[in-house]
Amino acid sequence: MVWIGTIINGVLLGGLYGLFGVGLALVFGVTRIVNIMHGEFIALSAFIALAISALFPSAHPLFLILPVVVISFALGYALQAVFVNRSMRLPDPMAPLLLTFGLSVIVRNLMIEGFGVNPRSIHQGDFGQLSIDVFGVQIGVLPLVTLALAVVLFIALQLVLRRTEIGRIVRATADNSEVVRLMGVRPSSVYNIVMGLSFALAGVAGLMLALRTTFTPFSGVERLLISFEVVVMGGLGSFWGAMLGGIALGVAQLVGLRLNPNSGFLYANLVFFAFVMLRPNGLFGARQ
Amino acid sequence: MKRLPAPVLTLIIFVTLAAAAPWLVGDGGVGLLFEVLLMLAMAQLWNLLAGYTGLVSMGLQCFVGLGGYTTIFAANSLSISPYWVLPLAPLVCGLVAAVSAIFLFRLRDAYFSISTWVFSEVAAMLVFITPGFGHVTGMTLETAREIDYETFLLVNFWIAAGLAAGIIVGIYGLLHSSLGLGMLSVRDNEIAAASIGVDVWRNRFIAYVAAAAGCGLAGGISFMAALFVNVTTGFDLNWVVAMIFIVIIGGIGTLEGPIIGTIIYYGIRELLTNVFALSGSWYLIALGAVAVTTMLVAPRGIWPFVRDQFGIEWLSISRKLPATAGDGSPNPKASISTHQPSRTRRA
Repeated sequence: MVWIGTIINGVLLGGLYGLFGVGLALVFGVTRIVNIMHGEFIALSAFIALAISALFPSAHPLFLILPVVVISFALGYALQAVFVNRSMRLPDPMAPLLLTFGLSVIVRNLMIEGFGVNPRSIHQGDFGQLSIDVFGVQIGVLPLVTLALAVVLFIALQLVLRRTEIGRIVRATADNSEVVRLMGVRPSSVYNIVMGLSFALAGVAGLMLALRTTFTPFSGVERLLISFEVVVMGGLGSFWGAMLGGIALGVAQLVGLRLNPNSGFLYANLVFFAFVMLRPNGLFGARQ
Repeated sequence: MKRLPAPVLTLIIFVTLAAAAPWLVGDGGVGLLFEVLLMLAMAQLWNLLAGYTGLVSMGLQCFVGLGGYTTIFAANSLSISPYWVLPLAPLVCGLVAAVSAIFLFRLRDAYFSISTWVFSEVAAMLVFITPGFGHVTGMTLETAREIDYETFLLVNFWIAAGLAAGIIVGIYGLLHSSLGLGMLSVRDNEIAAASIGVDVWRNRFIAYVAAAAGCGLAGGISFMAALFVNVTTGFDLNWVVAMIFIVIIGGIGTLEGPIIGTIIYYGIRELLTNVFALSGSWYLIALGAVAVTTMLVAPRGIWPFVRDQFGIEWLSISRKLPATAGDGSPNPKASISTHQPSRTRRA
């Protein structure tokens, strides 16, 4: 029974990890940028959520999603429009990567200056501690909501990309940014929207992280590695792969911690290694 | 009289300055330069991988930590001076790199970068949970008591200076060899290189093992001087972050770039934290701003920008065609450039 509980909680934790990765996968799939800023944005969203929750202390924590998503989208859009697009005109694929690297250092240290390095948390009712009993297994409501939210967002993202006009434009731009110009699409505008969406997804992930645990300006770096692993396991640019990768890591981490409480993220990292050795292009990857 | 070539002149000036440094800059200056030179050595090694063989590693901190642990663990176990066991650090790191390369080299581009980072995290965790390596508290160099600290600092500084100079000379020599030419061809076009008979895997393997051994030695020296190592400081991501910063700002794929980058990196740090007495995060913000500006204004780095603007050469590795008869000056257009070309975006 203990093990079943561990695995279920691992799957739920995986929902959060999938959420970490999906924004990164989206940006990579469309723009081919490895966005180093992603982790910093998860942490920044947590602080934005904290600031908003201080303004509305009685609101249900899940109502924070809307303002966090809007602010994150705007920030992502603006950063892409002001900085990243400029570096994408260059022929060198390293330039945007290093640009986001520089921006991430700036964002992290501004957070340190602005919010300090002490762990913070959002206390809003007892929502974070609620749990339900399913056949003797304690399941947290928040992790359950996180996984459900992740699945809903994944489906919504898929639908938008597959069925809508803007989705078709985004996919066409991802396939060939030169040819879409002929159809009257400006790739940089598409990239702005995609980066905004990616940051909005990171925003949701950051909020869920903030409701779940304490966070510091350094939380982003730790989550960046998880985000990367999730995306690589899924196959760069694949959303469902990212989700499954996240679940694999979540389960491996919790099972590992039960085997050795000191092991931290070791077992999840080992699972990652075993996985990429077997599937060097990720679960759904093969695109070059 | 024939003028000395710039690289030889640079080396002579460097050796002279390094030898005289304790009298020129005092103890504090030597301490700072010790750190600077080790970082320069490591940045050059990261540049060897990323700039010359196309291996963008985010996991070199693994070898810095392993080198530190190897040195202190061996010195403690054998109860001897750490200098005797220092060669073990590059040996162990080279070995670990050689074994891990068999697996890591199956992965390409971003997959490789992420996996090297994960590999470092795994190594850090294994060191952390293995009994005998000090767990959370880390390990202290036990033979430290017998050391005369003042000479210890000086000798360490000269070792660091020797390492930095040795690595730069080594890479310069390597890039002038046929092996180095093979590496450059792999970076520029892997398929074309393989089709003319360059062993891509072998070139990368040699570079990777060499970089790991070099970082291991630098880590060994660094933590020997600190008399202490633990997992948090040894396997710190900031080691590789600093290497990346320095190489990118200075100019990737050039020998001069990391030198310029190191000067800027530590120059900004000393200026903001010591002269203006600002907190550590402001200097990092300034560095981030420098990186962003560099990427927008001169995306290939500061040195290539300056070099092309003013047409100067320093530690250039480009090969000149011999001058044709009747034409005294070598035609600059006819030189075979081994500078990093602008790479085409992958489709």
